[in-house]
Amino acid sequence: MADNEIKAAVRIQHEDFSQDEEIRALQASSKRMGGIGTFLGCARDFSEGRDVSEISFDAYGSMALSEMSKLRTDAIAKFGLLDARIVHRIGTVKGGENIVFIAAGAEHRVAALEACRWMIDELKQRVPIWKKEITPQGDAWVTPHP
Amino acid sequence: MIKVLFFGPVAERVGATELKVEFHAGMRVQDLRARLQALYPAAFEIVCFVALNGEHLLDMSTALTDNSEVVFMSKFSGG
Repeated sequence: MADNEIKAAVRIQHEDFSQDEEIRALQASSKRMGGIGTFLGCARDFSEGRDVSEISFDAYGSMALSEMSKLRTDAIAKFGLLDARIVHRIGTVKGGENIVFIAAGAEHRVAALEACRWMIDELKQRVPIWKKEITPQGDAWVTPHP
Repeated sequence: MIKVLFFGPVAERVGATELKVEFHAGMRVQDLRARLQALYPAAFEIVCFVALNGEHLLDMSTALTDNSEVVFMSKFSGG
């Protein structure tokens, strides 16, 4: 892929992503954009009283991608966004590394911020991805947080 | 044949990520679920969602067709 080629707006990938690149791609979609809300989810190295060395993700890939695409379309319609992007990593992610990035672009800040919050909350409910924490005491699948 | 997939914690409890189940005319999702639940009770303790051919399914009386793909899933924990 050429460096200047814009990547798909919704992706599931093993490799890390660049927030700057995603925001540039979002901004390239419209010059009417007055506000961009973003959410970056990261891997914590401590959870439930235990050190966590890394997190392993499993996903029902085809459905997860399709649900994330629907989520983006729903958010654009619900909040009147100009554009939105969602990138989620799978595979193994070490403590401190990026997991998920969501960006919502709108004419004004309220829609951008509310849409961003809505998308991460909905993603957790609708998208078939599971995380397992790898700790020195053993591995444990994560019970969802409200 | 019906293709049944498992992911994450459910796959771990089943001990497999994929099973093939023979298709019978008139077979419904709830029939498939009951059959697998009897074989893998611990896995089905945590099953909360079902997907049929890549879409969330709410009606367990939905009829299956040959070559359907069914996924029994626990609560998601992405993000």
